[in-house]
Amino acid sequence: MAYAAPIVETQDANAPVTSRTGLARFMRRICAEMGAQRYMLVQPSVERGPKSVSIITSNWVFDALEDLGSEGIARIIESGVAVSAGARARPLLAASATFLTAEERRALRDHGHIETHCRRLVADGVNVYALFSSETPGAISGAALSRAHMKCGYALVQFFAATGGRASADPLSERERECLMWVSEGKTTDEVALILGVSSNTVNSYIAHAIQKFGASNRAMAIATAIRSGII
Amino acid sequence: MLSLVSSSQPSATSNDEGEARSLIDAVSMCRNIAGRIGAESFSLFFTAVHGEARRLVPVFDETFPGVSPVTRRLSGPDTTDFVRLVSTTTCPLWWRGNGAPTFLDAQARVWTREVAPSLTKQSGIAFPVANDRRRLGAIIFTGNEMKLDEELLCDTHAECFDLFAQVAKLREQECNAQRPMSKRELECLRLTANGLTSDEIATALGLSVHTANQYLTNSTQKLNAMNRIHAVAKALRSGMIA
Repeated sequence: MAYAAPIVETQDANAPVTSRTGLARFMRRICAEMGAQRYMLVQPSVERGPKSVSIITSNWVFDALEDLGSEGIARIIESGVAVSAGARARPLLAASATFLTAEERRALRDHGHIETHCRRLVADGVNVYALFSSETPGAISGAALSRAHMKCGYALVQFFAATGGRASADPLSERERECLMWVSEGKTTDEVALILGVSSNTVNSYIAHAIQKFGASNRAMAIATAIRSGII
Repeated sequence: MLSLVSSSQPSATSNDEGEARSLIDAVSMCRNIAGRIGAESFSLFFTAVHGEARRLVPVFDETFPGVSPVTRRLSGPDTTDFVRLVSTTTCPLWWRGNGAPTFLDAQARVWTREVAPSLTKQSGIAFPVANDRRRLGAIIFTGNEMKLDEELLCDTHAECFDLFAQVAKLREQECNAQRPMSKRELECLRLTANGLTSDEIATALGLSVHTANQYLTNSTQKLNAMNRIHAVAKALRSGMIA
C-alpha cells in the first residue's frame, strides 16, 4: 500500500546541525534551556588581522554589534574571562568589565547583556568562542550552561563538516601548514627542506605566503597566529 | 589580576567535586565518573604528538598503579587510525562489543560517532579532551552495561575535561622543576609573538636592544628551545603566554 510519509517536523531535536538556519535554531533551543536571551558564536579572525573577529551566528541586535564592533568583541574573548569546557562558570558583568571602554560597557548594559558567559570551544581543532547573555544576573543555570557548552562544540563539528566552514578558518595550504608546523618545532629552513624533500627556496616561499596570508610582520608572528587559531 | 569577575556567583556545574591533589585523587574521581555511566573500566591518556604522528600515552586506569590489558591495547601499535580520529575530533567516539546493544539514546547518538568495534572486547566510549595549554588527550570508558542519554553524555564529557585539566596540571607541576621564567622574559616572548622585532621590543619596554636580546636568549635556554621562534611556540603551547 502506498503510504505518504508525514512531513517531518523540522524543529526535531534529533536532527544534526547541517545549515546556518539549523545552527541558529539549535542556538535558540539551548538558550531557552539555560535561560539566556542572546547568543553569539565567534572566531578570532586570522585573515583580517589582530583585533578582528568573524561571527558565525548571533542574535545580538544590530545596534549592540555596531556599538561594540569587532574590536570590542575581540577584547571580550581575549580578556581572559573565557571559560573552557568543564570549568566553573565565571560570568562577565557589563557593569564591571574594566577592559572595555565606558561606552562599550554602557552599550552592553543598554542592550540587555547584563551578564555574559564567554566559553571557549574547540570544534575539531578550530577555536570558537560562545557568548551567552542574560538580562537578569544569575538567571543562567550553571549545569545547563555546562551542557550547552558541550553541545555547541558537537553542533559546530557537524556545522563545519556540512558547510566546509573549517576551510575558511584555515587559509593555509597543506604544504604551508606543514612548513609552519616544523618551524614551530624549532627546525631551520634547511632542516624543513630536508624533511619535506623540497628546496630551501621553496620552504621560504611557503612560509612567506603564510606570513602574507596572516598579515603577519614576520615568522614569529605567523607561528604565533597559527598556534593561537589552532591551525598548528 | 583583573577584578572583573564576580567570584561570589554560585556555580552549579556538575564538577564541584573538589580538586585532585594527587594522581590517586584523580583516579578516584575517574572511578566516580565511570560509576555514573555504568562503565566497568576506564583509562586516561595524553596524546603525544611528534610531527604528524600521534600516540596515546597511558596516565592511569582502574588498576592504578598497574596497567590494564585494555589500556595496553589502546596505546598499542595498531590503533593509529583511532588515535588520529580521537586527537582531531571533539565529538565522543563509541563502539559496541561483540553482540552488545547500543548504549546511547537517539539524541546522544546525534552528537557522537560510532567507530569500528575491534578496539576492545567490550563496548566503549572515548571522550576527546584538551586543556587550556593545548595539551590533548582522551578518557576512555569500557563495559557492556553502560547507559548514556544526551544529558549524561554532556555532563560526563564536561567532567572529563575538568579531570583532564587537573591531571595535566599535576603532571606539569612534576615537570616544573626547571628554572622559572621572569616577568621580563615572558614580556619579551609575548611581544615577539605579536610580531615585534628586538628593536621594537626594546623601545616598547624602555630597554636597550642588547638587554631585550639577552632576555630572549635566556628564555630560549630556559625553555630548552632551538631558537627564538621555537621558544615562542613552546611558550604559547604551554600557556605561559596567551
